[in-house]
Amino acid sequence: MEVRSDEKKLKLQVKCEKISELRTQHSELLCLMENIKKTYRIGDEDVEALKGINLQIERGEFVAIMGISGSGKTTLMNLIGCLDVPTSGRYILNGKEVSNLSDDELSVVRNELIGFVFQNFYLMPYATVLENVMLPTIYLDRTTNDVEDMAMEVLRMVGLEDRAKFKPKQLSGGQMQRVAIARALINGPELILADEPTGQLDSKTAKEIMDILAKMNESGRNIIVVTHDQNIASYAKRVIRISDGLITDESLN
Amino acid sequence: MNRLIRIISQSIRAVRAFKLRTFFCLLSVALGIASIVIIVAAVEGAYKKAFEMVARFGPDSVLVLSGGEEARAIGMRQKTLTLEDVGAVRQAFPNAYMVVPMTSQSGVNASYRDKKHQTQVIGSTEDYSRVWTWPVIQGSDFTSEDIKGLRNVGLIGQYLLKELFGDKDPVGKYILIKGMPVQIIGVLSERGMSATGHNLDDRIIMPLSSVMRKIQNETKYISALRVRFIDQENLYKRADELRAFLRYRHRIPDGQPDDFRIITPKEITKLLVALTGSLVIFLGIVGLISLTVAGFVLANLFLLSVKERTNEIGIRRATGAKKKDILLQFLSEAVIITSLGGLLGFMLGLVSSRLLILVADFPIYFSWKSFAVGLLLSWIVGIGFGLQPAKRAANLKPIEAIRE
Repeated sequence: MEVRSDEKKLKLQVKCEKISELRTQHSELLCLMENIKKTYRIGDEDVEALKGINLQIERGEFVAIMGISGSGKTTLMNLIGCLDVPTSGRYILNGKEVSNLSDDELSVVRNELIGFVFQNFYLMPYATVLENVMLPTIYLDRTTNDVEDMAMEVLRMVGLEDRAKFKPKQLSGGQMQRVAIARALINGPELILADEPTGQLDSKTAKEIMDILAKMNESGRNIIVVTHDQNIASYAKRVIRISDGLITDESLN
Repeated sequence: MNRLIRIISQSIRAVRAFKLRTFFCLLSVALGIASIVIIVAAVEGAYKKAFEMVARFGPDSVLVLSGGEEARAIGMRQKTLTLEDVGAVRQAFPNAYMVVPMTSQSGVNASYRDKKHQTQVIGSTEDYSRVWTWPVIQGSDFTSEDIKGLRNVGLIGQYLLKELFGDKDPVGKYILIKGMPVQIIGVLSERGMSATGHNLDDRIIMPLSSVMRKIQNETKYISALRVRFIDQENLYKRADELRAFLRYRHRIPDGQPDDFRIITPKEITKLLVALTGSLVIFLGIVGLISLTVAGFVLANLFLLSVKERTNEIGIRRATGAKKKDILLQFLSEAVIITSLGGLLGFMLGLVSSRLLILVADFPIYFSWKSFAVGLLLSWIVGIGFGLQPAKRAANLKPIEAIRE
């Protein structure tokens, strides 16, 4: 009897250690994906866009996700950005499981934790630069004061403080993307998720944008860039390649 | 700033930004609201006027007219009420504190020096001005001696006064009525139009028997009988009793129509409601149609707008807007526009009702009620027709809205 209870105790101890190990591991990780699958239904056919992604991103990383179109990289970025939920698997973002959150809860996560930068900038044409930058603050759950000061602050970070009252159409493509970066920064997100951020820009402007992102990373921000462009990926410290719904290769730059 | 206020200020921003959409929605809503606002004002005006008319007619009074409804309808002026009826009513109805007979002759020539005018001569008793609550404002009222003595004296109405005397003082002067000299002893106050649009000030009142004998050559029949009852709350019961009483006196068998007509305050209102009713129905149909059209204009322009602004919705969702935030934003855009349309419509209603009064003398009265109805309807249109596009906007999936 005694032997058996000792055995039990030992087992329990091991289990507890494992759990606490997992915990510390998780809190250091920004993203943890375990066996993430995503299936779309197109017509009568199920298309498996992601076939079991395992991914860990630590804090302070600058990661590029590379892949050709149709590789599943966009689906992966939607899932990382909480724009969509996986069909199966576990996704822990910033220590919180987000794989089965409701639409409203996902909105809150996006609002507080993620800053998006898209290929097409997506600035509201009728609003000023300042108003565009302030967009994410509208959906904060608290009352806000001095958001304008915050917006001017992030605009200064991207070097556009003198364009605050301009309309987007008065700006160049590079400037528009910088506005979008400022917008991504304003709520102080844990993660900046850039989807082909230089897709619409010439190589010189692209370099400027990537330099800004690199600088952001140096000051401690987590950045994930989704791209098919090797040059862009070379700014990242780690490159994850995805093909046919699976991670095929990881390399450090 | 509060989250709700922030979202609604986004709606205001969009209302200002999409000027063409705002303009068309505003205009179509305003037209619909304007006609509805006029309707409410016309109904209110009619009620107000009806109230005034009843007050003037006397809420405790009935008027009995000689001749049945059918005879009147074909223009026949039978005289069926008699002086004996008057006496009998006085005796049979102790609650009737005033029973005043009247006879009327229209198209009578009246002249003063070189001024001539065809007018209506009313024969009545010394109670005439009291029974109609129609004060003599200058000179003096009849005395019972004037009536008994068949004197040729008269109370002149304001319109006839202007026609014959201009601004001169008529009291004590003699005018000729059907060639007979009549002394003006008093002037009645201004009365205006009757419910049927008859000018009540174009008349002269003379003692009943003078008119009957000297103008109508009549000894028995009168045109009308005015009765006021002490117990106003039982007025309609009394009117029924009066009807039965007169039918009995006139020996009208059951199943035959009355040979007289009893007018109660209720009938005065009915007449006015009938007059206003046609306007209300016309404008009501116009208003409802244009509001429905406005609603569809709004719905379609908003659907287009949602399509055009798919990317905006996408980026809003990506940066943390919940479904209900998007719904709220688009719905308040619609409601803000229709509210503005409601305000504009109210002002449009104010202006066009002025024009309407110029064309036809409708009683129109604006109060907070027409304003409230206009605003409420504009909200209903905004919510009713803005909901579908707003729902569509809210239900866009963020990934799809962004990839568009």
